[in-house]
Amino acid sequence: MNTKKSAIIIIIVCLQFLNTVSAQNTYQFGALPSLNLNRKLKKDWSINTKIESRQLLQSGEFNGNADKVYKYVLTDFSLISAKKVGLNSRIAGGYLIRFREGKLVHRFIQQYIIVQRLNAFRLAHRFLGDQTFSTNEKPEFRFRYRITSEIPLNGESVDSGEFYLKINNEYLNSFQDADYDLEIRLVPLLGYDINDNIKIELGLDYRVNSFLNNNTRHSFWTSLNFFVEI
Amino acid sequence: MLKYLNTSITFLITLLCSSNLVAQEKFEKESRIKRQDVPSNAVQFIDSLVLKNRVKWFLEEGLERKSIEAKFKNKKKRYSIEFDTLGNVEDVEIEINWKELRTQLKDSIYFRLKKDCLKHKIVKVQIQFSGNQPDLLSKLKTTETIPNLTTKYEVIVKCSSKNSVDLFEYLFSDAGQPLSISKIIFKNSSHLEY
Repeated sequence: MNTKKSAIIIIIVCLQFLNTVSAQNTYQFGALPSLNLNRKLKKDWSINTKIESRQLLQSGEFNGNADKVYKYVLTDFSLISAKKVGLNSRIAGGYLIRFREGKLVHRFIQQYIIVQRLNAFRLAHRFLGDQTFSTNEKPEFRFRYRITSEIPLNGESVDSGEFYLKINNEYLNSFQDADYDLEIRLVPLLGYDINDNIKIELGLDYRVNSFLNNNTRHSFWTSLNFFVEI
Repeated sequence: MLKYLNTSITFLITLLCSSNLVAQEKFEKESRIKRQDVPSNAVQFIDSLVLKNRVKWFLEEGLERKSIEAKFKNKKKRYSIEFDTLGNVEDVEIEINWKELRTQLKDSIYFRLKKDCLKHKIVKVQIQFSGNQPDLLSKLKTTETIPNLTTKYEVIVKCSSKNSVDLFEYLFSDAGQPLSISKIIFKNSSHLEY
């Protein structure tokens, strides 16, 4: 897929989102900082640990009341181990624990990733399955697909001291009890490669869900990501 | 019979001359540069080709040296022309199809790859011409053979060994003799995976 086709797809997705935003729906706005630590191990194994926290700054209805009180929402800790299984692919599995309003949520994660190195950018496909368990909710099973493009803003690949554009687009199919929901995420980020081991990204994590049952919820999280190789 | 004898001799030379080749790791940093920042010699060389497609200029920084590279597409083929930092042309690389190589050359390359890899897949082949500026210019303007040019072949290969799968850049002489092997080190992709 060339850059032109990617741009057309992104525009179509954006237009779809704008269309849903114009309806009478709820929204949340906040911050979503994360820290990713990665370590390469022997024999093509690697390990990733991530801490992510969610803070709500504003919520309400479009064209309606807005609640502007700051609220800490949750913190996630995850640990994932991965094994390279091909030149460009990796399988991974791990566990996430979520602290939310004094309660614990447990999530098991399995994923398969392919990273394509094209002439002027990289494209990553992530197929992910997760199972979420908590005491107050029925188990939730999700099947997710995410496509990520990394577009260097200088040259044909991202080198240290250079900026890049990263765009995530993810589709999450959720099954909980007898309910099905689809969540779509679009995350444009501006990244900076400090050196080959540290990257910083800043952008917007936009999520839309519950639109299948006409109760659309939009979430806008300011995303600040740190990726560190240790 | 003569053909087989020729091939066997090439194999033997390949085996004898290349057994000590060890794969080096390849590190390169390239960044886009503007046409106005390119030495005038290099710009004039490219302009003399009267290309229809856009030319992209890059500064390549290796561990030991810097160079300037012009990349463009012409007649459905990808070209890469390397200059030194003063703008003197060094070599011309043209992406070609594996099938376009001579059978004898393909056999020699295949023989080497079979020796190095349990399984292999040719990802990309580039023919590389080096020589003086007028000869390189002639090569770019015609399809005819220019006798004074040195021809080499850069082959990117996905190579599976017992424990891993890696990508290598092989450089072969026109006779199919391996001149260098570099393991291509991929840039970290954890920010694309998690």
